[in-house]
Amino acid sequence: MADTSIVPTRDIHVAPIARARMDAVVLRILTLTFTLFIIAYIAIPVVVTLVMSFNDAAVIRFPIKAWSLRWYADFFNSPQWVDALKSSVIIALGTTLISTVSGVLAAWAFERFTFAFKPLVYLLIMLPLFMPGVVLGLGVAMAFGDVSMFGVDIYGSRMLVILAHSLWAMPLVFMLMEATFRTVDHRIVEASYDLGGRPFQTFFEIVLPSVSTGIISSALFAFVISLNEFVMALFLTTRDTQTLPVLMWLSLRSAGTPRLAVASVILAAALFVSLSLIIVWYTRQLRKT
Amino acid sequence: MSAAADNIAMRRKPNWRVRLTPWLLMSPALLIAIAFFGLPIAFMGRMSFNEHIDQRFFVPGFTLDNYAAMLTDPTFSAALWTTMRLALISSIVTVIIGYVFAMLVWLKPKRWRLAFIALALCPLLISEISIIFGWWMFFPKNGLLSYALVSSGLITDKISLMYTEFAAFVGLTYVTLPFCFFILLSIFDGVDKKVLEASADLGAAPVRTFYEVLLPLTKGGIAASFAQSFIWAVGTYATPSALGPDTLWTIGYLIQEQMLGKHNWPRAAAFSMVLTLGVAVVMMIIRLLSSKRTVLNG
Repeated sequence: MADTSIVPTRDIHVAPIARARMDAVVLRILTLTFTLFIIAYIAIPVVVTLVMSFNDAAVIRFPIKAWSLRWYADFFNSPQWVDALKSSVIIALGTTLISTVSGVLAAWAFERFTFAFKPLVYLLIMLPLFMPGVVLGLGVAMAFGDVSMFGVDIYGSRMLVILAHSLWAMPLVFMLMEATFRTVDHRIVEASYDLGGRPFQTFFEIVLPSVSTGIISSALFAFVISLNEFVMALFLTTRDTQTLPVLMWLSLRSAGTPRLAVASVILAAALFVSLSLIIVWYTRQLRKT
Repeated sequence: MSAAADNIAMRRKPNWRVRLTPWLLMSPALLIAIAFFGLPIAFMGRMSFNEHIDQRFFVPGFTLDNYAAMLTDPTFSAALWTTMRLALISSIVTVIIGYVFAMLVWLKPKRWRLAFIALALCPLLISEISIIFGWWMFFPKNGLLSYALVSSGLITDKISLMYTEFAAFVGLTYVTLPFCFFILLSIFDGVDKKVLEASADLGAAPVRTFYEVLLPLTKGGIAASFAQSFIWAVGTYATPSALGPDTLWTIGYLIQEQMLGKHNWPRAAAFSMVLTLGVAVVMMIIRLLSSKRTVLNG
């Protein structure tokens, strides 16, 4: 564009218009190529897994010769895999409950109150989210390796995995809820106080209902995180409590049967439902505002 | 606004109750964070100074050997180099793809936005193990890539990209992409689109507008998303060890190996402490750089 300086001012748009059209065409092609690339890139592992789960053969091999639901039947007939799925769901539900309750309460405390050591507490709550799973799993396994509480072995119990998963799920809930609480109209909160509402009463009766969208979506995120996690669970589970991703990881090296694909699809289906719910809720909220 | 709430609360309640309320609200979260994060990290810090004698997990003691070993042990320095190289290259690729993707979503009409966001959420929502398995079926000799290339006539012999560093890069990038994308999208949302029009009106070609207007405005986001994906790539060990060659030892793999394979707890703890400190430093940098906007409502 250096030539524009020698062109008379009133002609400035004449030459560039043709070039701008060329640029626009090139830009369009580039955009289209990149969009297709990104869609393919993100879709490849998902589609390959989906296709493979309906494959009849016992080995993973393209092209696929016959289709069947054989490996789905195999999955649900195998007690080990069904147990792992059950374990995963129980742990994910527990994580959702614990992390949502604790995360929401903490976020409210941060949004409404000033107190000592606020940055330090913030760091303590948020830091685990950024920690590698291998470090967290190792730390918890070392610290609780041979502790037993109330006669129950903590190590290898589902409770320990739930609490470990909450280390990632809770900060996420906290972060999302902190942003959500910021959107609450503080005048209704003050009105509640002025009418004699006590802090806890105000919180449960006024604030919580108005942020239900945020709570539901952060709970779903917590569920998704726990359902997917396997590095911490690898360190903390025993054969009896191992989750589906752990079992998948352990059998990845030994046997690449389509059973793994079925397990992936089942996990993904649960997540797809969660994702759709999140999107439905968000669009509804967008329409409201 | 929180100060106003405080004032009102203070009018009604004795001072100590007002001061106690936030701590009461935070107690479940704090309890979890202290018991399952603070305590284990402290425990691990202490463990890293213990000794490893014979075949026992650890022997109480005080030695700096485990840290010193990192400087002298060639396995560790090789793993450190491997981890850094993998994380660096995959983060750069992630940032480039994520940047262009976020820019597209930002520029496209609003009705496309939700579809693209859903697409970007996919890798975040699918388990890392499912992602690994998906690519695991794509790269080998009998996988989809080889089949597609042979049947399209581009190559005649089946090829395998499995257990190569390239496969590890693709897997890593796939895992880190969504984080990167969402950070960058939130930065783009903070840019006023009128500056692009202004730049075009002043006669700048799109490329020049990009270099002189858009890039400087999104510099912070690039740094933050780079740091974010770097953290993730440094910490993860499953993807590179499952997709990459057997010799691809990352620090995460080494930690796992010391803990579960060699039962050398102090060494595993020392490696973890170094990783933890590194992550904490990068996280501080992110916090300084990242914006607080929400992405979905943009």
